[in-house]
Amino acid sequence: MDLSLDESQRILQRSFSEFFARECPTELVRGSESTGFDETLWRRFCELGAAAMGLPQAYGGLDMGLFDLGLVAAQIGQSLAPLPFADVASAGRLLATLPDVDEALMTSIAEGTGLISLCDRSQELPGGNKVCLPNGAIVAKVITMQGEDLLLWDLEPQHATVANMGSGALAIHDLSLAVPRRLASGPQARMQFEHALAEWKLLVAAMQTGLAKKALEIGADYARTRIQFDVPIASFQAIAHPLAEAAAQVDGAELLWQQAAWSRANSAKRFLELASMALAFCSQVARHTSDVALHTHGGYGFTTEYDIQLFYRRSGAWSCYFGGVSNAYCEVARQRRANAMAGK
Amino acid sequence: MDFRLGEAAERVRTEIRQFLEQEFSQTHRQQERDTGDGHNWSLYRKLADQGWVSAAWPKEFGGGGRDPYEMLALYWELSKAGFPWFGLLNNSFIGHTLMAMGSEQQKAELVPKIASGDIMVALGYTEPSSGSDVAAARTSARREQDHWVIEGQKMFTTTGHMAQYIFTLVRTDAKASKHRGLTMFLIPTDAPGVEIYPVHTMGGERTNSVFFGGVKIEDAQRVGEVNEGWAVVRFALGLEQAMGYADRQEALLEKAEQWALASTDNNSITTPDPRMEQQLGRMAANAEVARLLRYRSTWMQAEGMAQQTEGTMTKAFSAKVFLQDAQDWMDLMGPLALLEHGTENALSEGAFAEAYRATPVATIYGGTLEILYSLIGQMALKFPRNR
Ligand SMILES: Cc1cc2nc3c(=O)[nH]c(=O)nc-3n(C[C@H](O)[C@H](O)[C@H](O)COP(=O)(O)OP(=O)(O)OC[C@H]3O[C@@H](n4cnc5c(N)ncnc54)[C@H](O)[C@@H]3O)c2cc1C
Repeated sequence: MDLSLDESQRILQRSFSEFFARECPTELVRGSESTGFDETLWRRFCELGAAAMGLPQAYGGLDMGLFDLGLVAAQIGQSLAPLPFADVASAGRLLATLPDVDEALMTSIAEGTGLISLCDRSQELPGGNKVCLPNGAIVAKVITMQGEDLLLWDLEPQHATVANMGSGALAIHDLSLAVPRRLASGPQARMQFEHALAEWKLLVAAMQTGLAKKALEIGADYARTRIQFDVPIASFQAIAHPLAEAAAQVDGAELLWQQAAWSRANSAKRFLELASMALAFCSQVARHTSDVALHTHGGYGFTTEYDIQLFYRRSGAWSCYFGGVSNAYCEVARQRRANAMAGK
Repeated sequence: MDFRLGEAAERVRTEIRQFLEQEFSQTHRQQERDTGDGHNWSLYRKLADQGWVSAAWPKEFGGGGRDPYEMLALYWELSKAGFPWFGLLNNSFIGHTLMAMGSEQQKAELVPKIASGDIMVALGYTEPSSGSDVAAARTSARREQDHWVIEGQKMFTTTGHMAQYIFTLVRTDAKASKHRGLTMFLIPTDAPGVEIYPVHTMGGERTNSVFFGGVKIEDAQRVGEVNEGWAVVRFALGLEQAMGYADRQEALLEKAEQWALASTDNNSITTPDPRMEQQLGRMAANAEVARLLRYRSTWMQAEGMAQQTEGTMTKAFSAKVFLQDAQDWMDLMGPLALLEHGTENALSEGAFAEAYRATPVATIYGGTLEILYSLIGQMALKFPRNR
């Protein structure tokens, strides 16, 4: 057993942590509240090779694994950086595994100019052709699975962000206006799509964990310094204990997404189950932790001036991307059952 | 990164599973259900014969030199199977403590007997008036010539009625500050003046209350220096690295999943009731996280890394979700889940009723949830002491 990061992972983690500390202060996050995206930040991020990380070298990628992508996603969560990293990385990795790869498209993704997303079932609007994409305002293409076909759609460029609770680059697209290109079909294509979705979920789980860590830190700092009744409020157990409980949950969330990412290459049978599990649990913990940390602030946490509300709203929003926490738990149960039946 | 326990631990797992299959019979299980002893001499001796009581002790003391991963596999399998393992667990820690802090005579005479499974020691920290505040013990020892006279009462002395000794924390200096006036003794349970009475619990475990009425013991029964008992307790508690209940959570989850699988006969991967499906997913995640937290403390132990609150977090997280999940699952099961083991129509042989009764103590013994949260707050979040 070895639960430590290796040297290169530590360097990766440190350089992105320093990057976001320098390039993504809260002012930038607040400045992008209405669009959910910061183009300059994305460009700088891609200059570090971030968009190329998870792609094969043949297309200008850096051939890094899902675990390493997770480390970067966690830093995005901590800093609330408004970047479509999880979506683009998982969609790009799917494309790279398909036959007849469009090399120009792959290269543009690796450079950060090609913005592309997957679309999960839960992002389809009822009754037809519309989809609600977390980064719909900035992605130019989307991949869906319809019936037996894996389809690539061109989206109308420069869609406006729809006002939304989590301040993401959320937008709704009407796919009936577009003509898709078929990328692949059949059970193999479906399986590849499922795995790509699972990677996306896993990266969101890592983001949620990073978010939860930071929210806990903000809450604990406030509890140590806010004085009421002549003592720091952290000396009241009713304040201290929920934060302590959250601290254990946050550590657990981190281990869970890391194990899920590790399982992709080492224990593949459980990967789908563990990715859904990480999404469910890490989202639940992020929501809960930012709620506890907000409450720790009393009335101030409710004001827009304090940062904790940014975390509260985003953790809630990111929890909704794939149909919610309870839906993800149901998925876990179904995948375990499918594994159990396959094992028989 | 590597999340596997490793081959040596997996071999232990296989070995213990075989042992359980061969030795832990239905009769033994029923006996434990009837008595709640938490210890079974004949099974215990068999484990001792195979070296499991002293498995974690250093080789130079005749121990097995097993690493923390192997120990995890041993405890995991025993606990998951509902094996009466308290004697094994406590004596592994007590033996280790005696090797580190006991007298030469204790090391030469008692330690080998513990290793061979001939004697068993129970833990006597808690008293009627001191539980969470362990150091407030009032049971006293006063010196008379070359021996000591013990007066007082211990509470919740689990396995005390089967033990040869009680590892007893007593006050030897009433004037010194709370932590300074304590001394540790091994009190023989057959000494005149020791009286042991059963205390029964909702979970089925039997524990005891122990009275000491003018019990005379030799100075040779003292462990560590006079008035240095707190250091001995801290050492012993430190070995008892918080393990949590991931193994039992996993057992409950498997029972619940088996029940759900059996109750749908079509080959569908969805359970008939989405609420049930959601709860199964939650239980799976909670068991997984509890296991990972425990793996982390075990890994740190194996690597010789100083732990801060990792063990405390393991126990706190696991205890809370284990209790919650036992309750939430029960809520979905309907009245048949109330039927206890051995009755007709009982669901999963009464496992859900049993879990509902047995889980509340998880948040109480070995440090209550409140005490654990205060420790985490103090050490991990740098909060002021609030207890
Ligand atoms: C089945 C069972 C087996 C046991 N086996 C053993 C054994 O073998 N040997 C042994 O020595 N002991 C044993 N114990 C004792 C166990 O460790 C204690 O019950 C436990 O430490 C709590 O002490 P208490 O029961 O006196 O509760 P108390 O300490 O009186 O606590 C009562 C309540 O107050 C809360 N509380 C107390 N202090 C604080 C504080 N500072 N801040 C916030 N809340 C607080 C507690 O969390 C709890 O909810 C056993 C107990 C049980 C139930």
